[in-house]
Amino acid sequence: MNDVGHPFLRGLLARRSPLTPTTPTAPTAPSVSWLLALRAEALERGSTLAVPTTRDEDWRFTDLVPLTRTGFGPVTAAPSLGADALAPFHIPEAGARLVFVDGCFSAPLSVIAAQGGGLFAGSLAAAFHTHDELLHTHLTRLADFRDDAFMAVNTAHLHDGALIVAEAGHAVPQPVHVLHISTLADVAIHPRLLVVAYRDSDLTVIEDHVSLHHGACLSNAVSEIAVAAGARVRHIKLQRAGKAAFHVATTTTHVERDARYHAVGIALGARLSRENLHVVQAGTGTDCQLDGLALIGGRQIADTHSFVDHALPDGTSCQLHKCIAAGAAHAVFNGRVLVREGAQRTNSAQQCRSLLLSGKAHIDAKPQLEIFADDVKCSHGAAIGQLEADEVFYLRTRGLDEVAARNILTYAFAAEIVGRIPVRSVVERLRAEVLQQTGAREIA
Amino acid sequence: MSAVLQSLIDQPYQHGFVTDIESDTVPKGLDESVIRMISLKKNEPAWLLDFRLGAYRHWLTMTEPTWPNVHYPKIDFQDISYYSAPKPKAKLASMDEVDPELLRTFEKLGVPLHERAALAGVAVDVIFDSVSVATTYKKKLAEVGVIFCSFSEAVHEHPELVRRYLGTVIPSADNFYAALNSAVFTDGSFCFIPRGVKCPMELSTYFRINTQESGQFERTLIIAEEGASVSYLEGCTAPRFDTNQLHAAVVELVALDNADIKYSTVQNWYAGDENGLGGIYNFVTKRGLCKGVNSRISWTQVETGSAITWKYPSCILLGDNSVGEFYSVALTNHYQQADTGTKMIHVGRNTRSTIVSKGISAGHSSNSYRGLVKIGPRAEGARNYSQCDSMLIGQQCSASTFPYLQVQNHTAKVEHEATTSRIGEEQLFYFASRGIGNEEAVSMIINGFVKDVFTQLPMEFAVEAGRLLGLKLEGSVG
Repeated sequence: MNDVGHPFLRGLLARRSPLTPTTPTAPTAPSVSWLLALRAEALERGSTLAVPTTRDEDWRFTDLVPLTRTGFGPVTAAPSLGADALAPFHIPEAGARLVFVDGCFSAPLSVIAAQGGGLFAGSLAAAFHTHDELLHTHLTRLADFRDDAFMAVNTAHLHDGALIVAEAGHAVPQPVHVLHISTLADVAIHPRLLVVAYRDSDLTVIEDHVSLHHGACLSNAVSEIAVAAGARVRHIKLQRAGKAAFHVATTTTHVERDARYHAVGIALGARLSRENLHVVQAGTGTDCQLDGLALIGGRQIADTHSFVDHALPDGTSCQLHKCIAAGAAHAVFNGRVLVREGAQRTNSAQQCRSLLLSGKAHIDAKPQLEIFADDVKCSHGAAIGQLEADEVFYLRTRGLDEVAARNILTYAFAAEIVGRIPVRSVVERLRAEVLQQTGAREIA
Repeated sequence: MSAVLQSLIDQPYQHGFVTDIESDTVPKGLDESVIRMISLKKNEPAWLLDFRLGAYRHWLTMTEPTWPNVHYPKIDFQDISYYSAPKPKAKLASMDEVDPELLRTFEKLGVPLHERAALAGVAVDVIFDSVSVATTYKKKLAEVGVIFCSFSEAVHEHPELVRRYLGTVIPSADNFYAALNSAVFTDGSFCFIPRGVKCPMELSTYFRINTQESGQFERTLIIAEEGASVSYLEGCTAPRFDTNQLHAAVVELVALDNADIKYSTVQNWYAGDENGLGGIYNFVTKRGLCKGVNSRISWTQVETGSAITWKYPSCILLGDNSVGEFYSVALTNHYQQADTGTKMIHVGRNTRSTIVSKGISAGHSSNSYRGLVKIGPRAEGARNYSQCDSMLIGQQCSASTFPYLQVQNHTAKVEHEATTSRIGEEQLFYFASRGIGNEEAVSMIINGFVKDVFTQLPMEFAVEAGRLLGLKLEGSVG
């Protein structure tokens, strides 16, 4: 094993947390055998795969050398955190809250929703006892780790995470908040989320990654979301990691017949962040909306790769992604839309709009349409530019100075995406954060 | 899809025939001795042989590109004959001396050479296989100082110009097929427009592949000096064969200060039969360098032929205020595959580029647009607008777009739009309700779809291009 694969990945795989039990749960748990087999396979794959380089088409704009040069250790002791540390991240609308501190589930800080009442929200480790069949059916079924080094590493470490289940026909009134707090530098964590929304259910999940320190750390997250026929899932992902953090995340969603999936992704933090969004429209008449915002400055890199796979007829997808790059930041957007043979009457619209605020910032955009059916309406558009001089001038005629005028316009550009989040307190908090980020910036 | 549409898109290839002219062909295979032989046959100077050998040695270290969205059996580069030429004859002074067999070939193509030349005032440098056999209007061009001749002639008569510019836009090691071309190119066209001269006529060249299993490797070099302007037309058809023929041309354009080059192509090479058997592999490297300030290079292409098209006419916008344009119609039918587009590399200040690409796919074909717009860090105020639209006819074809936008200057403005549509039964029904038959309706819809590109073609070419689309799709285009 030592002479194949990549030393960085081998390091991540070898340095497993002592908190990861060698058997996933208590020896009596029925899941032991299949989960152990999965982890062994992922370990084997992770040991043979290479870390992607800019020579790989999927990573051509994002160089992972800064990541692979950094060493990360495991989390050796479960960190404890007082409830007051949570206050800044509290979402009053949320019904259930699952808190992970440096990747470890914190029962005292969490508000779990036990079985009954249509919603289950709890830790995966506990669910291995109670939801064995469900986990066996869904876990790692959507996110295939076999060709992806990061997902393989995540799966090799898989022992805990968040599980959210909405029962059939049940509309969960309050959003579920999954909060990942990073308190330690120089560690690698591998968050895992599984959302199962049964037939005709309705669910809102807020996946929130925050940081209490400014050191380097790696968060290598995998989320799987199964949306059954007629269900509606809203998935809000907030990435507010520290400015020296690395964040690599894959979200795979299967949307079945007449179901609707709405994702809003906001990337504000991390030195290097990469979001892989993979949506498979696996039923007819599905509807999917992807909204994204990357607001970065300094030397940050924010890379979003989305892939919407229209596999069956009558699907709709609508995507709007915005990048704002200041300082010497680098934003990347790769949006792939595939309309497979037979996916007739697909209606797909994709927009990527980017704002370059300084001379050293740069943006790479690659919208991509692949169409194998004739009766479809598909479009994509990409625009990269700076703030309109006329608009700045107009605001100045109203008595605003140059900096304020530009900040207001930048804020308005970002607010369109933020406003699409269906949770009011999150919208307000993000608006304040966006305003602060734009307001703090000097004009280049 | 309606039977009407089906019958309309199944028009057989009308230019499929073989002209039987004795050819002077070297044995199959490629090694240094073949390159030395080509160079010797063409009586080339030592520096050009060195250029070829350098390219060949680099080519040996390269691998074929696999990133295009096309699929074909691996090419055996040792199974190709790298040189074929009609038997050498005395230089021809007029059209009357041209081999009548050759003239009949052009007539079958519907391109009466002498008539075109007389009516349209076009000088035609006829390339049959790899060697020029006839050049007209040369004198008239010489009067204003324009050099328009075959590449081999230029090597002998203007070696200093060829040597100064050859490989400066597309280095011999640029890519796999450009390196192969640099090693074995046989002939092509050379065009030099001196300072301040507006070329008095449209220049056109007819390329034609004739000998079975002989790859053709043309080399075209066009230089427009300060303030010069030229419009160059290139049109291609090829006879019908079942074995694939490789075509790897290289076209280099250089525009100095205030110069203007317009390069138009209509390509209708044999695309293989309706089962995807045979057809030309068209792996072409075309690139223009806007070297001077205010220079402009415009590519217009109508791609209807070839089994596989792999072609990205590009512009490097080096000079401040330079302009690059790319207008393309790519039509694929049956099992044709096209991966085509452009690259606009903005280096200088206030550079502008426009991309308009229209792809039409029918049958089982695959049609991809692949483009790069790159704004360098120094390209203050650069501007790009791209539009690529696809039309699908039938359920087995595919259309893809792969645009790459890379912006490193915040004062730049880049816009890209792409849409997909089809000819629907409702549209045809609407036309029918207005008394317009299906065939005419399809023709009108297609013509409307490609109009933005066709208006960029020189008059006489627009007519031919319309006819080509007609032959390929509708049978008759108004």
